[in-house]
Amino acid sequence: MRLGLLVDLQRCIGCDTCTLACKQENGTPKDFFFARVLNMETGEFPQVKRSYLPVLCNHCSDAPCIRACPNKSIFKRPDGIVIIDQERCNGTGACVSACPYGNIYLNSEEQWYFPDDSPHEHYAKSRLENGKSKKCTYCAHRLDQALEPACVVSCPAGARIFGDFDDPNSKVAQHLLVQKEQTRREPFQLLAELGTDPSTRYLRPLSQMHSGGRGNAK
Amino acid sequence: MVTTRRVPGRFPDTAPVPEVRYVRTVDSPNCTGACGWIATVKEDIIIDLKPAADYPDPEYNPRGCLRGMASTSLIYHPDRIQTPLIRVGQRGEGLWRESSWDEAMDLLAEKFKDISAKYGPESIVFFNQVIGTGNVQKGAQVRLASLFGASYATGYDYNGDISMGYTETVGIDSLESESAAWAEAKTLILWGANVLQTRMPDAKFVLKVQENGGKVIVIDPRASQSVKAADLWLPLIPGTDGILALGVARIILANGWIDSSFIRSFTDLPLLVRMDTGERLRASDLHLGKPDEFVAVLPTSLARGELDKTLRDAAQPFRFVPVSPESLDIEGVEQLALDGIYNVEIEGKPVTVRPAMALLREHLQQEQYSLNNVSQKTGLTPDSILELARSYAQNRPAQIIIGMGVNHRFHGDLVIRSILLLGALTGGFGKPGQSVDIYSGQHHVRFDISPWWYPDGKRPNVVSMHYVIMPEKSPTMNPKIHLPKDGFHALFFSHANIFTTSHVNEWRKIRDKLEFIVAVDYMKTPSTELADLVLPAPTFWEKHELVVTGPHPYIQIQQPVIPPRYQARSELWMMKELAKRLNPEWEAYFEMSAEEVIDYLLANGGPVSAGITLEALKKGPVRLNLPSPDVPLVENIEQRLPLPPRAYPHKEGAQREFLKTGRMEFYKEEESFRTSGEALPTYKEAYSHLSPEELRFPLTFMTPHAKWRVHSTHVNNPWLQNLNRKPVVEIHPQDAQTRQIKDGDLVELFNLYGSFQLWARVTQTIRSGALSVDHGWWSRYLAKGDYNNVLLPERVKTLQETYFLPAVYAPGQLWKDPRVEIRKVK
Repeated sequence: MRLGLLVDLQRCIGCDTCTLACKQENGTPKDFFFARVLNMETGEFPQVKRSYLPVLCNHCSDAPCIRACPNKSIFKRPDGIVIIDQERCNGTGACVSACPYGNIYLNSEEQWYFPDDSPHEHYAKSRLENGKSKKCTYCAHRLDQALEPACVVSCPAGARIFGDFDDPNSKVAQHLLVQKEQTRREPFQLLAELGTDPSTRYLRPLSQMHSGGRGNAK
Repeated sequence: MVTTRRVPGRFPDTAPVPEVRYVRTVDSPNCTGACGWIATVKEDIIIDLKPAADYPDPEYNPRGCLRGMASTSLIYHPDRIQTPLIRVGQRGEGLWRESSWDEAMDLLAEKFKDISAKYGPESIVFFNQVIGTGNVQKGAQVRLASLFGASYATGYDYNGDISMGYTETVGIDSLESESAAWAEAKTLILWGANVLQTRMPDAKFVLKVQENGGKVIVIDPRASQSVKAADLWLPLIPGTDGILALGVARIILANGWIDSSFIRSFTDLPLLVRMDTGERLRASDLHLGKPDEFVAVLPTSLARGELDKTLRDAAQPFRFVPVSPESLDIEGVEQLALDGIYNVEIEGKPVTVRPAMALLREHLQQEQYSLNNVSQKTGLTPDSILELARSYAQNRPAQIIIGMGVNHRFHGDLVIRSILLLGALTGGFGKPGQSVDIYSGQHHVRFDISPWWYPDGKRPNVVSMHYVIMPEKSPTMNPKIHLPKDGFHALFFSHANIFTTSHVNEWRKIRDKLEFIVAVDYMKTPSTELADLVLPAPTFWEKHELVVTGPHPYIQIQQPVIPPRYQARSELWMMKELAKRLNPEWEAYFEMSAEEVIDYLLANGGPVSAGITLEALKKGPVRLNLPSPDVPLVENIEQRLPLPPRAYPHKEGAQREFLKTGRMEFYKEEESFRTSGEALPTYKEAYSHLSPEELRFPLTFMTPHAKWRVHSTHVNNPWLQNLNRKPVVEIHPQDAQTRQIKDGDLVELFNLYGSFQLWARVTQTIRSGALSVDHGWWSRYLAKGDYNNVLLPERVKTLQETYFLPAVYAPGQLWKDPRVEIRKVK
């Protein structure tokens, strides 16, 4: 079994709904975004390209955060999900430095969004322990109830597909099969050369954009 | 569904699951999404939101976006208006006294009676935004205004959402396919439409075109969010969309990529125009028929393929046939002449007449529409313009989506007529993935709401908001519009940040003349701060409502997820309280509960809503009785029915006066069009209506919608502020360098009318000569000044006053027309 998330970059519209679906689900404090989207512009006018890269914990097979933690507070479940134990964590931050993707968050003085305890925020604060290292858990608490991760069910573009990569009948395996045939795309991982072997994988966007601009003619 | 488990630690969470309930509702802040959500409620607090994803057509699932997802931060925001507030200091000082509802409504009624007695009830103007989002509650406000005889200012045209180019061509203000249909296109063109940012729940269908092997073309001066999806990006010079469209029309004609059958059946292009008056020839002029019928030429010899040649040989037989606006079935329609010069006699005098198509062909032969000139004017390569033309005309089905980037201009109607021409020439309408659509606000009235809004057939005094705020009266205002003789003395606005989002300078002056200003809102806004009385409304999550939209064919209800917070009461309740104080007889008009009003609206809505009930809607979205797929003009084309499609809530036939032929009109015969030189779609420089002083400012200024807000809603949402911290102006490196501006610098934008300060974002994504600032910031987030005070003062295009039909034929807006300069702030 190898649970993982597939992000189909062809479908991503860069809306950040996943970013806030995650926040709504997990009750993260200010500046903590377990899932987020990198919005990139490359090139010079008029040859400018836009791309979006949603990122989140990669739940690496060989996770640098697990090896870095001095308290053995990070562990990998049998289904592959990497969890930071919120009770055991001492807040040393070694994992934050160790993660090559910048996907772990730590702030001993967590900040929130509302000055007083607004009712919704009061509830949100009960989801995670204050002042501990935290990151995406592939919504393990939802998976344990046969529900898909919040970001997956919330993506209005259908760009996030979750499941067992090892099971040919899973949604994610099916999607890969269809895309291989229809659009000839194979999945890739971020920073694959580091040997972390992420469970979060990507399919590249299809468009080969060319621009009709004549430079900066006025 | 439930989000009550703690994020996992070493041991599983075995705590008992708390009691929660789930409520399915729809969000409706005027983004046209009308997305279904499931809220999880624990002890009357919303603890989670997830997309409902229960639309019967699975292609739509899920709908939703980051703003809907962040709604809890507005519902529980500290700036919610908690009680009715009565102003105590000066307007804008921020000094308020909390009052009871009784005292507030007594004051409101007393003021209204007083002002009405002095100046007449029409001196009080009601304004609520985009009524498609609130058929029940906002409808109740219209109902009250109708009974009272107050004025009602339409938001749709004032917002610039009205697409006059459509009204002038097809007799209705927009055409909207359901978004799932876009995916059927092989060529999809986003023309001044930033769909990936402005129609987030629908944007997936744009990307689907590529997944299916099709091609996406984006026409936009900036590398907007949507450029991610582009196979071809045309970064044209702002304001040159019209000449691009006409250049493409010329290429299409030159290559013969036309659908003559469509042109003959569904457009006015075969109809004869008199060369002496410029008006269309009438059947009665030739004693062939009635004065409301027109004339076309039918060659009587059935020579193959020679039908479009100029008929110089007098021996070539032909005859004139009458063309009725009530039927598209003219005899010999497939052979009607699209060219030629003919001579007739009218009352003894010789008159030359020609089919409109012939005039159009000649018009497009002008040098300005040549490929070379169009390339120069637009800043696009000739190859890319050819590629646009060829892809659209040949790689079919082909879909054009037009956006407000094109429409929000003084001459936006000309541009849109030019784009619609491309559709008409190639027969590009009436199929999924093959239409020319435009999406603006959530204004669409999709079924007949008049029994609720217009009790006993009474209507308010409907005016375009333009005329409420214009500095000087328009001498050509349509005579159907009635302005109160002593001016406006009171304003009642609901769910509108009316003093912030537009025409800041004009409103400042108008406010001085208004004795009484009432605001209805759930949030403290810069506009509520300028009122005399503020009434707390519920959010969309705290009331019953009936919601429809253009981009999808479903009707949905809002249900209260939690009861209204604080002292908020529904708009329907407010109107009942006001009604009984103004006139005890009027209380009976507001006796139904919101749920009963929903059933009443549905039952009386005509064929589109027939058979749909509140009970059914409680289970989820229900499809309105519309064609499937819901593609505009599909019935007109398949069943050969004359245009226009009916614009609710207006009566059947109300649109005939401005679409006299019953067909798509590319030749507008009215004097107002002819004297402007706009009888045919023509190109006018976007800034040609500006004065020399206004033109001194060299930079064009765009204000696209941002993904972080819906207009200015959510600007104060801390979750969204955490992702988008401050207002920036996009500026090309060349323009920045000549002004010594570096990325992140504090800068000032200014022109004749005002200035404001914000921060520079030096970027390659915009062309030199243009600036862009996202729409919808409140002034408190700027470094200094009011965001919209550089807009051009309100002005209307005379020919857009030729007729008046509220929210269908009325002047548009010119948000994208200001010119500015920018400097670094020392």
